[in-house]
Amino acid sequence: MRIRSTGAALFAGVALIVSACSSGATTAPSVAAPTTASVAPSTAPSTAPSVAATPAPSSALKIGVVTDIGSLNDKNFNEYTYKGAVAGATDIGAATPGSVVPKSSTEYAQDIKSFTDQHYDVIVTVGFNLTHDTIGAAKANPNTWFIGVDQAPCVDPTGADDTKFACKGDAKTLLPKYISITYQEDQAGYLAGMVAASVSKSGTIAAIGGTSLCAPCIRYIQGFALGAQSINSSISVKTAYVTGDFSTKAFGDPVYGKQYATSFIAQNKPDVIFQVAGATGNGILDAACSAKIYGIGVDVDQFLSYPNADTCIVTSAEKHLTNSVEATIKTIGAATAVGGPQLFNASNDGIGISDFHDKTSLISADLTTKLATALAAMKAGSLVTCPATGCGVYSK
Amino acid sequence: MTSTPASASFDPAAVSAPALEMRGITKRYPGVVANDRIDLVVRPGEIHALLGENGAGKSTLMNILYGLARPDEGQILLDGAEVKISGPADAISRGISMVHQHFMLVPVLTVAENILLGAETMANPVFLDRVEARRRIRELGARFGFEMDPDAKVATLSVGWQQRVEILKALYRQARILVLDEPTAVLTPQETEEIFAVLKRLAAEGHSIIFISHKLYEVLEIADRITVIRRGRVVGSRTPAETNEGDLAEMMVGREVQLTIDRGESHPGKSVLEVRGLHVADDRASEIVRGIDLQVRTGEILGIAGVAGNGQDELVEALVGLRRPTAGQIQLGGRDVAGHTPRQMNEAGVAYVPADRHRFGLVLPFSIADNVVLTSYYRVPFTHGPIRDEGEIESAAEQAIAAYDIRTPSATARAATLSGGNQQKLVVAREFSRELALLVLDQPTRGLDVGSIEFIHRQVLAKRDAGTAILLVSAELDEILELSDRIAVMYRGQLVATVDGRSADKYEIGLLMATGGRERTAELAEAAAADSGVTP
Amino acid sequence: MTAARPDQEASRRRSLGRRVWSAIGLPLVAIVLAMLVGAVVIIASELLVGGGQLNWGKPLEAYGALFQGAFGGTDAVVQTAVSTAPLLLAALGVGFGFKSGLFNIGAQGQYLTGALGAVAVGVALAGAPGIVAVPLSVLAGVAVGALWGFIPGFLKATRGAHEVVTTIMLNYVAISLLAALVAGPLNTPKSISPVTHDVGNAALPVFIGSNGHIGILIAVAMVAVVWFVLYRTTFGFEVRAVGVNPDAARYAGMRPRLLTMLTMTICGGLSGLAGAGDLLGVSHQMTSSFSTTVGFDSIAVALLGRSNPVGILFGAILFGAMRAGAPLMQIQASIPAELIDVIQGTVLFFLVATPVILRGFQTGLDTTQITRSYGEASH
Repeated sequence: MRIRSTGAALFAGVALIVSACSSGATTAPSVAAPTTASVAPSTAPSTAPSVAATPAPSSALKIGVVTDIGSLNDKNFNEYTYKGAVAGATDIGAATPGSVVPKSSTEYAQDIKSFTDQHYDVIVTVGFNLTHDTIGAAKANPNTWFIGVDQAPCVDPTGADDTKFACKGDAKTLLPKYISITYQEDQAGYLAGMVAASVSKSGTIAAIGGTSLCAPCIRYIQGFALGAQSINSSISVKTAYVTGDFSTKAFGDPVYGKQYATSFIAQNKPDVIFQVAGATGNGILDAACSAKIYGIGVDVDQFLSYPNADTCIVTSAEKHLTNSVEATIKTIGAATAVGGPQLFNASNDGIGISDFHDKTSLISADLTTKLATALAAMKAGSLVTCPATGCGVYSK
Repeated sequence: MTSTPASASFDPAAVSAPALEMRGITKRYPGVVANDRIDLVVRPGEIHALLGENGAGKSTLMNILYGLARPDEGQILLDGAEVKISGPADAISRGISMVHQHFMLVPVLTVAENILLGAETMANPVFLDRVEARRRIRELGARFGFEMDPDAKVATLSVGWQQRVEILKALYRQARILVLDEPTAVLTPQETEEIFAVLKRLAAEGHSIIFISHKLYEVLEIADRITVIRRGRVVGSRTPAETNEGDLAEMMVGREVQLTIDRGESHPGKSVLEVRGLHVADDRASEIVRGIDLQVRTGEILGIAGVAGNGQDELVEALVGLRRPTAGQIQLGGRDVAGHTPRQMNEAGVAYVPADRHRFGLVLPFSIADNVVLTSYYRVPFTHGPIRDEGEIESAAEQAIAAYDIRTPSATARAATLSGGNQQKLVVAREFSRELALLVLDQPTRGLDVGSIEFIHRQVLAKRDAGTAILLVSAELDEILELSDRIAVMYRGQLVATVDGRSADKYEIGLLMATGGRERTAELAEAAAADSGVTP
Repeated sequence: MTAARPDQEASRRRSLGRRVWSAIGLPLVAIVLAMLVGAVVIIASELLVGGGQLNWGKPLEAYGALFQGAFGGTDAVVQTAVSTAPLLLAALGVGFGFKSGLFNIGAQGQYLTGALGAVAVGVALAGAPGIVAVPLSVLAGVAVGALWGFIPGFLKATRGAHEVVTTIMLNYVAISLLAALVAGPLNTPKSISPVTHDVGNAALPVFIGSNGHIGILIAVAMVAVVWFVLYRTTFGFEVRAVGVNPDAARYAGMRPRLLTMLTMTICGGLSGLAGAGDLLGVSHQMTSSFSTTVGFDSIAVALLGRSNPVGILFGAILFGAMRAGAPLMQIQASIPAELIDVIQGTVLFFLVATPVILRGFQTGLDTTQITRSYGEASH
């Protein structure tokens, strides 16, 4: 689940302007090399060792990317996904991927079709909003690979999008070349929780989700709590959800987010706050900065995507969009790819936390070690980052 | 009459060299020759009238003189030396000034400030020398026979005095050649007399004056020489002694024109319009019509004279339904129609020729046909259900074009492409060609040339004789006098006197218009009451 | 009066020339100039951020791809038609308002609410026979869009609230309303993010290509309908008269306030139809982030078409083609879609600026304008 996506497109216009202003020459270290380098030294070979064995990196595959509304340089889903596609193409020796940025939600299908019409072999679509049209295109073009980032298709027995969410069909067999990428949010949340507990002085930290109906949000927060407790078992983790439904307040209302977080902070007095609420969460980060406490971003490196809150962002719980897309393309290039849902987590370098930027001095050597250990344990599958029962389920 | 070059009729008596000579001026616009080899000679101290219908080429010629247009051919000589005038600023610096009909004054500034505007660079480029300016304005005024207060706000001055400010502005800039564009159009007879006196003194001092007009008697009264232009050509140049009104009109129009129409006796019948105690507010909600009583009978024309802005517009708008009266009655054929909508008034037989045809009269971007049916488009035969009958509309338009001699290539031409006279004929055609009870005319010939005026006046009289009740409002006293069977003078929202149209004295009415006749109101009212059915 | 004849002939010819110029010449000049500016932008961006090379051929490559994407083959043409339809309908609505002197900035909101109305009814009738579901869903979109137009019309007629202000505000209300309804009553349970059900049988039938839905035919038909209403009915006559000269219209017995309400309602209905067509013909479902640029592009299209339905048709095809060609331009020439925005914006700029610039040149050369105004003043 891509948390930013829901409702956030309402602010696409603003985002476009912001990104237009903030694009330019900014380097994005988190993309070029995983920001968590210190935490997750890129020793870990990727999921598919066979890829590395590709003899001559040359491929005739044509790769295209259809982003969500906004711009290609949004320091967010569009940009990091595209960079992943570029990296993947370079790895397998394919031509630089083409990209199409839709102007409105009625254009998704057409934009995907532009690539299939041009006989592209691999089409990457970015974000939940494109799920419906990616399913349609995958069904219509069974010989084309589709990579749907942050998409969890729900299909009926014919392989068509099931808008009633009965999900009777098996996407993996019905759409064998549709790879839908999801992420294990609780692992990223766990690492963020460790950082939060370690920089907290008061012993009270907090996490705010967009809506209690959003399972990925809950997983982020559950991981966050466990991670914090691993550092300080007596830490108090206050959690809250902005709303209990999918209204704009959940992910699309930064003004309300700031308002909500301001009173939440006043009441609960945390000194670190983790936002899992998209654009609403940007308001939460603003509130954290105003209250002079630390904030932790979500999904992408928000120090880069939301510079407004740079004064207080310590790190962000990150989905490694670039890595995951790159790795997936490599599997296609190596002809080892398998359709269906593909989970990205620590073991395939699919999650992590962002660079600390100007907050590096807050991070003790001890914490750095602990983070590296935790990550290694996650890769090994020996670290529990989500409750055994009720993972992703809201409970009061 | 065939065109003869003006140069053939030089005044042999004139000995001095011309102050201005325009030789063989030709100006072509796409598809039309606006000025065709025009020669014009203006001597120092001469008042030279330029006479011609609208579109004859007077404006183009003056634009060329003032540097607003470049001639395609021809020369301009000032004091015998050829000059090229690059623009208005250049013209002014060469001593040519223009007084437009619509004054170019800033109302909130004083006389001195207005005169200094644009002239400030001449004396001192940095500071305005107000003391010196005031002194010179007083001095110039005194020299030409009027006492101008340099510190008066222009807004507080009457139209006649504003015009004097314009003239002073020109004189202040040391104009030697003064172009006046229809200077008397907005003046009362008294004011006209006064301005003429000023112009004569200017001429006596050696200034040359070009006087644009189409009022024949005025031209004969003031000008030393009259040049008539028709279709871009000079058709003749005369001294007043050599010519008369009929001759000039014929030169202007190209055919014989009947200047004063014999309007015949009126035969008033029963009362059509009765207004009682009418009060109307203007757009700023201040009462501008303050208790008017009047009556118009079938077959008669009631003229309402008055200086513009005394409530005539609001009175008329109330009568045609455009403005809701604040109090009083408007009875049409015995029925109270005060506050009815324009359409109700229209259907009750009220027709209206507005003073501002571009505002209420026409939809300029629309075709002639659409304008012909502007008030009847919704009725059979022009529409069936919601759908227009283009054929019927066009044939109605063709009829109107033929009946009212509207000069246009076709009924589908846009009203905006018509000349002013033809636009007005279009309005008249629409308003006159239906069942009429009451005709409300507000300055029906404003800005028109003699040919069109004659035509419209004839139509109005024909309607009167056919038994229509007519209310005529005009600031042009000549028009009121020419058409009205009875004349009421409107002053500050009230009718101050009503007199018989035939025996009316122009100067007396002019005085009433200007002052409301305070000292003589009672006397006149008695006289009016005696010879008309209207209660004053 | 005899002198008037050649004058009139000339002025008629001049006026005809001016109309032809403003209807065809001016937009063409604006488009060409805009493409030149676009070319400069492409070359400059290649030079500054792209390969750092002066690539004179790049604009041609971009425009070639744009053209191919818009007109190269049946699918491309169908896609252009699909992109054109909503622009056309919404611009007809905006142009209808212009004709009546109303500046309706609310096409965006009317489009969104129209789509919302269509999806609400479409989902409810998803299982009903198409013959019932399609017309009812379309009508629902029209009705809700019309309501969204009626509100500012009513406020203007009764309270004098300026339609520019109220329609802009209603655009925001529409966005929020859409998000609230899609997240609330229209949301599909179990979905991980707010999204409505599919409209099922209420989807507009496809008659050509893979996605050429009948909304295209409806849009083209509306050109004729709107033209007929404007120029062949008494109502259209009233609308135009009020737009050009409200005073004369009032004297002619028309009711400007009533016409304002009716006109705004029709504007809204047409934009609502645009939204309904897109939703039922293209998206088939709605997420809470459903968005569009149609509402604002349609204002540009209406200006480009001089509010004339036929002009609007050409303007909409131009903008629709640019939208349809944009993906291929991005794919083949790697030119960002923002270039389309640059061209569209520049077209508008030149449309407004060209007459002003030309007038500036003319004052030195030809004083027709001044002569005319002086001539009028001397009446």
